[in-house]
Formats: sequence, C-alpha cells, structure tokens
Amino acid sequence: MADEYAHPETLVSTQWVQDHLDDPKVRIVESDEDLLLYDVGHVPGAVRIDWHGDLQDQIVRDYIDAEKFADLCSRNGIANDTTVVFYGDKSNWWACYAFWAFTLFGHKDLKVMNGGRKLWLDEGRPTSRETPTYPRTDYKVVGGDESAIRAFRDDVLAHMKAGGKMIDVRSPKEYTGEALHMEEYPQEGSLRGGHIPGARGVPWSRAVNEDGTFKSPAELRAIFEGEAGLKPSDDVVAYCRIGERSSLTWFVLTHLLGYPRVRNYDGSWTEWGNLVRAPIKRGAEA
Amino acid sequence: MPAALDAIVAELREADRQERIDLLLDFAASLPPLPPELEARKDAEHRVAECQSPVYLFVEVIDGRVALHADAPMESPTVRGFVSLLLEGLSGASPADVMKIPGDLVDRCGLTEVLGMLRVGGLTGVLRRIQRDVARAVGSAPTSP
Repeated sequence: MADEYAHPETLVSTQWVQDHLDDPKVRIVESDEDLLLYDVGHVPGAVRIDWHGDLQDQIVRDYIDAEKFADLCSRNGIANDTTVVFYGDKSNWWACYAFWAFTLFGHKDLKVMNGGRKLWLDEGRPTSRETPTYPRTDYKVVGGDESAIRAFRDDVLAHMKAGGKMIDVRSPKEYTGEALHMEEYPQEGSLRGGHIPGARGVPWSRAVNEDGTFKSPAELRAIFEGEAGLKPSDDVVAYCRIGERSSLTWFVLTHLLGYPRVRNYDGSWTEWGNLVRAPIKRGAEA
Repeated sequence: MPAALDAIVAELREADRQERIDLLLDFAASLPPLPPELEARKDAEHRVAECQSPVYLFVEVIDGRVALHADAPMESPTVRGFVSLLLEGLSGASPADVMKIPGDLVDRCGLTEVLGMLRVGGLTGVLRRIQRDVARAVGSAPTSP
C-alpha cells in the first residue's frame, strides 16, 4: 500500500508556495489565532483573512452570508477559479478553519500549506510587511453543500442517539471534564464539563508533527483507525470548543485520509456544555 | 489610573486601526528580556492561565511601588504587546492606582474593535492577574511608613 494522502492536491509544500508567489491564478491567505502576526511579516503577496473579523457574522453566532463571502473574495482578488492556499499559526488550526469555511461557501480549489507559518519562517523563507492590493474580482455566489460538512446541535443529538462516531479533539482534561480553566470568565466558557457521550478523545495535536506538518498517512491511520476505531465509511462528527481545532481534524479525515462523510460541529463544547439537558459524559470513558 | 498608563490608553484610543496594530507591535518588540534569576522561575505559579500562549508574570511591590517583570512569546505578538504596554504603564505606580484600573481597559484602548471580542479575554486576564498579585503583595507586606 502506497503511503499517500487521499487527496494530495489539497496539501502543498512551502517550496510550492514559494514557486507560486507571482502566479496570478494563486492567492495565498494567512489566517491566524494572533491577528498581529500578519503585520509582523507574512508570505510576500499573502492577504489576511481573519476567522473572527472576516468570516464570522459579528452579531449572530454564524458565518457571514454568501453575498458577504463573495464580497470578501472580490476585495482580496479571489475569483471563483482562483487557487486559494491557506497557512497560519498553531500548526494551521485557523488555516484549516478558513479552508472549511471556504468549503461551506462552495469554493472549489483550496489548499493548505503544510507546516504553516512556523515552517515557512523556520526554513528562512522570505517575508514581507507590505499589505498587497489586488484588482477587485467579480466573485459569483455559488453556495456549497453545508449539510455535508457542518453539523448543528440537533444533528449531533440524533447522531449520538444513533450511536454515530464522534471525535472530541480537545485536550484530555477538557474531555474528562476536569478542566474548564475559565472560572474567572463564566460568560465565555461552558457551564458544564465533560464530553458528548460516545465521542472518543483524540486531541487535535496528535495529527501534526513538531514542525507543524501533518503526520504521514500511516501514522494518521494508526491514530484514527487503530486507536479511535474509525473506518473510512463511517459518518463522523468532530468537535472541540468553538470548532476551530476540529476543522483541522475535519481536514485530516476528509482530505488526508479521504473519508467521504465528516462533519464539523462548530457549535462545539461552548454550545453543548451550556445546553439545558444535553447529555454529558464525565471521565475518560467514551 | 496611573498617569503613564493613562497616556498610553489615550494614544491608542486616538489612533486608527492600523496605528493601534503598529503601536501594539512596537510594544511587543520592546518588551525587555526577563532577568536570568526570574527566567528560572517560569513555573505554573507564575503563568497566566487565561492566556493560551505561555505568559509569565512576576509582580512585586518594593518600597510602595509596583515592580513588574514578564515574559510572552514572540509568536504571540498581541498578548506580548499588551503585556509590554502594562509593564510600561504600571511600573513604579502605587498599588492603590493599580487597583483602580478599570476592568474594561482593553476596550478603552480600542483593542476590542481591532481584535474582536473573542480575543480580548486573555488580555483582560493579564490585567486581573497583576491586580490580584499586587493585592496579595500589599496584603502580606509589612506596612511601610
């Protein structure tokens, strides 16, 4: 068996990105947890798309609508047929989150730069502090298949009752319910600790190496199939605290291992852990 | 509020979005390294739990004046910049003035507007931690004349 990712075209190397810096068909996008990193220095020609400020609605807990998404792309010189390559800090958490959100809106040609911001810098590749501007495009709203990749709380409840596979990608203490770490900020956290009954705990970080790149297909299969008991044919829901770490796991299962049916529950623990009468399991057992 | 901090807050508030980012980056760049004796004491007790990034604070009150040392990673310029801003604004202040800093300081600096609501909780956590440690230091220190 060849040790290859299922959809290798969705993952590109730092060298590939450097070779395509001036390619008009390619737009490089930085998405970070720390907003200021882009200003410190970014891949030359890269634009910043912020998960919070750009992709989320500022009033309702949801994403922007399709028209706003089209405007966001148009402003950043992204056309419907542009190849969009995401990279960012934290081993590409937010890059994967942006990739997932772009998939929600039906953009087709999406890639992640393996290793993210850290590897680019560690390899001593060029950076720029200049914010580029690109000619405005006329991005047409296409609309994606939201139900294929996004799960809402009622979907998750039905999935749980049906005994469907779930992966909780938070840290072990968040999974067992020992830690919320938010006692001074109850308004930002969850009122209850633990996990959704039936969910297996596989912290997101297990899918990446020290240098920020993804683990090999064999290593990933050993974790998700060997340890967590998933099969490629499973209908899988992944969640974390607000849906960002689990979009990395969604990317791994969907694009690196080729599972056709994986949904990200973006409401995640900040929704479930606050829902009245939502079933919760404490401790290390699924 | 201590006068030095007040001046920084005013400067940030009057700045536009990009200027606020640039100011915060300047602060991040100017955070002095920890003295070697504190470098060795970067433990859980001195870590700010509200921050996802490893941020360490060392708060003392010496002769009735607040003395601060801190460490935050270069890879997290937002929190590093804010920590550096607090160091500059609070070092040498009286404990009473530090205790009077309002809890919505981050907002007053115009940073909620720049960073978004979800990102400012950790920054407020740094301020509360300093205030807690100052209160403890004053509580346990012998009263000076």
